[in-house]
Amino acid sequence: MQFNFFHLMPYPYLPDDFDDAEKYPSPSLTFSNRHFDPAKGVDLYHRYLDELEYADQLGYDGIVVNEHHQSAYGLMPSPNIMAAALARRTSRSKILVLGNAIPLRGNPLRVAEEVAMLDHLTRGRLVSGFVRGIGWEHFAHSVSPAESRSRFNEAHDLIKKAWTTEGPFEWIGEHYEYRYVNIWPRPLQSPHPPIAVPGAGSPETMRWVAENHYVYTSVYAPVRIVKTWFDGYRKAAADLGYQPEPEKLAFATPLFIGESDAAAHREARQHVEWLFHRGLRQGVELVSPPGYVSANGLRSMLAAGQKGFSGLSYDELVEQGMVIVGGPDAVRNRIGELRDELGFGQLTLMIPIGDMSAGMTRRNTELFATEVMPHFRPAVEQAATPARAPA
Amino acid sequence: MSQAVEPAAIAAQSLSVGSGWISYFRAGQGRPTLFLHAAGGAGEWNPFHQLLSERMDLIAPDHPGFGASADLPELTTVDDLVYHYLDLLDHFELEQVDLVGASFGGWVAAELAVHSPERFRKLVLLGPVGLRVPEAMVADLFLMTPPKLVRALFHDQALVEAALSVEPTLDQIVATQRDLGALARFGWRPFLNNPKLERRLHRITAPTRVVAAGEDRIVPRVHCERYAAAIPNAELVVVPDCGHALYGEQPAAVADAVTTFLAD
Repeated sequence: MQFNFFHLMPYPYLPDDFDDAEKYPSPSLTFSNRHFDPAKGVDLYHRYLDELEYADQLGYDGIVVNEHHQSAYGLMPSPNIMAAALARRTSRSKILVLGNAIPLRGNPLRVAEEVAMLDHLTRGRLVSGFVRGIGWEHFAHSVSPAESRSRFNEAHDLIKKAWTTEGPFEWIGEHYEYRYVNIWPRPLQSPHPPIAVPGAGSPETMRWVAENHYVYTSVYAPVRIVKTWFDGYRKAAADLGYQPEPEKLAFATPLFIGESDAAAHREARQHVEWLFHRGLRQGVELVSPPGYVSANGLRSMLAAGQKGFSGLSYDELVEQGMVIVGGPDAVRNRIGELRDELGFGQLTLMIPIGDMSAGMTRRNTELFATEVMPHFRPAVEQAATPARAPA
Repeated sequence: MSQAVEPAAIAAQSLSVGSGWISYFRAGQGRPTLFLHAAGGAGEWNPFHQLLSERMDLIAPDHPGFGASADLPELTTVDDLVYHYLDLLDHFELEQVDLVGASFGGWVAAELAVHSPERFRKLVLLGPVGLRVPEAMVADLFLMTPPKLVRALFHDQALVEAALSVEPTLDQIVATQRDLGALARFGWRPFLNNPKLERRLHRITAPTRVVAAGEDRIVPRVHCERYAAAIPNAELVVVPDCGHALYGEQPAAVADAVTTFLAD
């Protein structure tokens, strides 16, 4: 099992009356940046990077950053900058950029170039994720959601070709046109850095990810729903005549590990509620603007009748498996159950949740590394891994 | 408001075009008139259509991606729609027509009349978008929740409450989102405008009537005023106590504003 430590880098200092959803319909897009205090921001960035570096020191297999725009939900408009900041301060973990929102970029070659640079800076520890960007980010960067998927597809094809084909070559596409594609540097990893793509149940995405043998990563959803996605991916792979190794499936979830079950639930509630009720407060007009999903996709979304995140109570979130909370034993058992049920080989854990303090984040990061991870390591690997956290 | 008009049951017809088909209504006798619908209201034969068809040979197609027309994804810009409709006129062997366009359809109508002035005898623009007015942008209807959009479209709050009192079916939600998705395809950026259109409007030769909604909360009045100012032979009339929905809110008054202008 591979364990990845995922940081969203939220801005936790929301106004006291933020629970007034009329006044603040979302922390994204229209939530004024007058609420961003640079003096706090500077400390947050350094604290959050310290937390990712600490995960590397503790033996997590991967550390994860991602991309969001114009939001207190996550402060990484450019995940590549965060990956660069981590590249020379870490040495063991893979660095997963999950991912670059390639439809939002006017110039996807810039992504090909930056990721190739990161591959060298990390000495080949880079995993390159590609995402479409959430609906609201298409407002934020003025990209038509109706073009989002075809821009994603073409940008992906272009980037991959730029990484794997000797240049110069021409790219004359629907959205992008270049007479000379010839990126320096080429990536270090051959044929290119591993690619991971998140999916939320779209059959087209499942088939495409399976065709390309990429890592399929889940997003926030009840376990029973994630099960259908992972089964769909395996089915798509089977139709193509292969069986994907478990590492090609990554289950992503917030996880709160405390000293005991009771203490964990007592401590976790406020932070889990921050994440789902404040961070993820967003109406359908923000998540899914016109054209972002196909008519068929919309129909199945509506038919599923899933409640918005803000409509789920803490207990419902725990029950549906949208967050893992417990003491070390319970967390170990739960992960074992989920692995058996879902068949994933990578676990991408959001351990810093919402407005958690630095101290609590550090404790949970360490508890998980020492109390849970060894349990899932093969004995050989365990012996070769320094078990103790650096002081 | 006279809502007494009972629309006849007019069946939509289908025409093979490009990678798919378009759906259109055609009814009535007299001068052929092409009606280009607004972002909403595709696929419906409503009282406004009925009133127009009593005075003219009305051709009312659904835009590609709207209503009962296929997506025709190869058409990605309003410029493409201009050629699409010129092809349609050729298909129907119509040398010259009267042209009426509402809101988004008003933009397409203005572009058509700029492109081929000789094909259009008279032009009516109902609350048209299409001009770039940085200091008075069209409201961002893409970011509106459906109830907010309905409230913005209609001036008569009784109509708003009536519309919102009925829970939409899944099919209706999907259809509305598909229409808005097609609108996003043609008008996300530049936002429902062509920066070059205004300085080309002088090419229009058809006598033109621009109809503004008295209480338009989507398209600021200045858009209608600038159309009327830049088109050589144009007049501006205002339908009072009416929101941007125009023919959806006051079909009789708006039909009257159209038919009186087109008659002669």
